[in-house]
Amino acid sequence: MRRLTSVFGGAAEPPKGGNPDSNTLISDTTTVICLDDYHSLDRTGRKEKGVTALDPRANDFDLMYEQVKAIKDGISVQKPIYNHVTGLLDPPELIKPPKILVIEGLHPMYDSRVRDLLDFSIYLDISNEVKFAWKIQRDMAERGHSLESIKASIEARKPDFEAYIDPQKQYADAVIEVLPTQLIPDDNEGKILRVRLIQKEGVKYFSPVYLFDEGSTISWIPCGRKLTCSYPGIKFFYGPESYKGNEVSVVEMDGQFDRLDELIYVESHLSNLSSKFYGEVTQQMLKHADFPGSNNGTGLFQTIVGLKIRDLFEQIVASRAETPVGATKA
Amino acid sequence: MALEPEQLSNKVEESIKSAQETCDDDPVSGECVAAWDEVEELSAAASHARDRKKESDPLEDYGKDNPETDVCRTYDN
Repeated sequence: MRRLTSVFGGAAEPPKGGNPDSNTLISDTTTVICLDDYHSLDRTGRKEKGVTALDPRANDFDLMYEQVKAIKDGISVQKPIYNHVTGLLDPPELIKPPKILVIEGLHPMYDSRVRDLLDFSIYLDISNEVKFAWKIQRDMAERGHSLESIKASIEARKPDFEAYIDPQKQYADAVIEVLPTQLIPDDNEGKILRVRLIQKEGVKYFSPVYLFDEGSTISWIPCGRKLTCSYPGIKFFYGPESYKGNEVSVVEMDGQFDRLDELIYVESHLSNLSSKFYGEVTQQMLKHADFPGSNNGTGLFQTIVGLKIRDLFEQIVASRAETPVGATKA
Repeated sequence: MALEPEQLSNKVEESIKSAQETCDDDPVSGECVAAWDEVEELSAAASHARDRKKESDPLEDYGKDNPETDVCRTYDN
């Protein structure tokens, strides 16, 4: 989220002077709302009913639709706050309509009414192996956790995840799929990632990023005579595919950036980035070099998606200026 | 103020024990699944608390509010 909001402009921060446990982020241009705020059941309620947060029964989609629609129509709302620390629903906070509204969470595309309000949607699809590796990294520091408890938690939540969350993929305009690398045979470190940017064709105001020749299929290893990379190197793929019944264009990066010049070299060969100047992608990646994924496809594609959304936003604004909606004067 | 990472760690530990006990009773129940979901929620919260603690630098915070003080002045040229 920080990469996206940084591309749009300004640093997104929690609202000042409000509930310190608010999940909301606000910058000059953007407001990010966490959809957990629309939980209809708090932690105790879910425990009593034996229901996970992933289950639609724990979420108020009517309120979600009502408020997202209101904000989109330029009306401020009093949005509930789900406190992740206490597990309770706190008193609401005022959300004023921003230039760009981002809703993030478990069910942004689950309800069709909410889905229809979205100008662009993204699904972050982490494969099972990578998810397990990341959760181990995150939780092994916790004294209560062990490999077994981490595994048990993932397994217990899998049925609900597969029933309610995963199916949203088919509706997303862009899917960022994170997989283990194919560059290292029998890799069990899980440090190098293969990341696929799956871009839906035919989405209004969205022209997919491509390599060299739009609509063709390309396999590209940038490392060679002009560029020296360290093991295991970098491999790119671009091509048209069919994904969940949709026509898509996929850009894929397997491997890691070690040096700045690798990044700028790759950027200079990608097309339709919607960057405002040469090297903007590289500059954004460097600006946030301390964020996770800064040396691989996750950071690269999140940055690129940020540029594509910015471009989409500017096109929408321009089209509204041309055809003003409203009452005509007599 | 948000809970300290230490207090959240305690909550995580308790929730894991609770999940293990609940699932011992009935491994396929909604209660068992909900218990592990709570573990995930608390683990994520604990991780965020750790990150926030790492990110906050007392001098940075002081400098944001008091940019004119000697320790916080920056020179752009």
